[in-house]
Parts: sequence; C-alpha cells; structure tokens
Amino acid sequence: MSVLDRVVGGVSCREVLVDLSEYVDGELPPTRVAAVEAHLAGCDRCERFGGRFASTVAALRRSLARPTGGVPPEMAAGLRRRLAEDGAA
Amino acid sequence: MSEADDARLLAAAADGDRRAFARFVDRHEASVLRYLRAAAAQDADADDAFQEAFLAAWRGAGGFRGEGSARAWMLTVARNALRRHHRRRAGEPTGYEPLEDLDHLGRAAGWGRPEPAEEALEREDLLRWALDGLAPGDREILVLRELEGLGGEEVAELLGLSLAAQKSRLHRARLRFVARVRSQALTDDEEDRA
Repeated sequence: MSVLDRVVGGVSCREVLVDLSEYVDGELPPTRVAAVEAHLAGCDRCERFGGRFASTVAALRRSLARPTGGVPPEMAAGLRRRLAEDGAA
Repeated sequence: MSEADDARLLAAAADGDRRAFARFVDRHEASVLRYLRAAAAQDADADDAFQEAFLAAWRGAGGFRGEGSARAWMLTVARNALRRHHRRRAGEPTGYEPLEDLDHLGRAAGWGRPEPAEEALEREDLLRWALDGLAPGDREILVLRELEGLGGEEVAELLGLSLAAQKSRLHRARLRFVARVRSQALTDDEEDRA
C-alpha cells in the first residue's frame, strides 16, 4: 500500500492528486470540490503540496505573460515577403 | 480589437482583402511563433512552419466558420503546418512522451517531500529553464492553456483529444514543470549552502 492511498475525509491522497489541476482551475463539480476540501482540511501533505502546485502554476503563467520581444524583425519581413509572393500582401 | 474583429478580418481575407489579412497577421504573428516554438522539437522547425502557417491561413481563411475563436483556429492551422513540416522530415519524432505513473509524477513534483524556498518561484531564469526543458507536447499544452488562455474544450479540439485526455495531459505537463522547478531549486539551495 502506498502513502498516496491514505484516506482523509472519505477521499484518498491519490484522488486529490488526480483532481488537483481541475480543482485549481475551478473546473471540478461542486460535490467534488467539497470532498477535496474536506481532505485538504485534514491532510497536511496534500494541503502543502496543493498550495505549492497552485503557486508554481501561477508563477508559470506570470513567466509566460512576460514580453518576449515578439517576432524578430527579419522573420516578420520574411513572412511579409512570402505572403506578397502568394498575393496575400 | 476583439474576437468579432478577428472574425471580420478573416471573412474579408476570404474575399481577397489583403489589407485585412495583413492586420490579422499583425495581431497573431507573435502568439503563433510563440506557440510553434513551444510545440516544436527545435526552433528551426517552428521557424520553417511559421511562414507556412500564415500562407495556409490566407489560402484557407474561408474555412473559419466562427464556431470557435479565431485565435484557436489560427493556432490549429499553425499546428497542422508544423505537422506537415515534420512529416516531410521523415523519422523526426513528433509524438507525445509515454504515460508516466501519476504517483511517480506527484512524488517527483514534491508531494510528501521537502520543498525549496518559496523565493524560487520568483526566479525567472529557473522558470524559463524548467519550461524549456519539457518535452514539446508538454510545452505545447502549457502555452495553449496558461498563455493563450484557451479553454479545455478548445485545446482538446485543437490537439485532437477527448476532453478527459486533454485534462490528463495538462495535469501531467504541470506536474512535470513543478518537478523540474523543485529539483533545480533544491540543487541550487544545496550549492548555495556548500
């Protein structure tokens, strides 16, 4: 038996691990949200991991949203030349 | 400009309006390149597919029926351009990585294990490194969901997956990202203490 088989609040740690992304995204049905939250209230490991998982996904979104400089000028110009050859520009 | 504006630009482009298409290109070229570079095994593949994607969009603008977002349509066109490019280079792997046991992924991501300092999440170099080192399939879905903000159903359709498979792929990609951040942050913490 794995540590992830531990059941708290009627739900195992493994089930919470499976549902974690949907929970963080607000996409779990309400009854499932209640079950996950009952588990998190009584399971330190899942509560800690869930928090860190959510923070890291949020950090990923912030990182992705940072400006990256767009399309390099030579690529943008090359695209427009190619489109012009095709009658698209 | 709005989604409705994109739809009007594509409709005009379908009628041969080159200026409308040029505006559409201006609006989407950065996100298309960003997506292709995430989804491709190498930047060179992405850069080659970039022109092909917009050529295909120009030629096929009439194919946008307004059933989903113009952005999702454009990214689907881009994805198909990348796949055609990969098929021309026979033997290049494009497929997704084998399915890992979720327990293993969870533990690697830090479930039940020590965590690095929260400050690690402020390190842009670490986050970029962690993302760049993922497999193309993982980067692709993370860019589509976390940057482009496409919904689960749109991404499922774009990737040719069921909604359940899309959810599973997203979750595993996130866990692998979290695992990479954790692992490198802990290594850096150890080296700083040495």
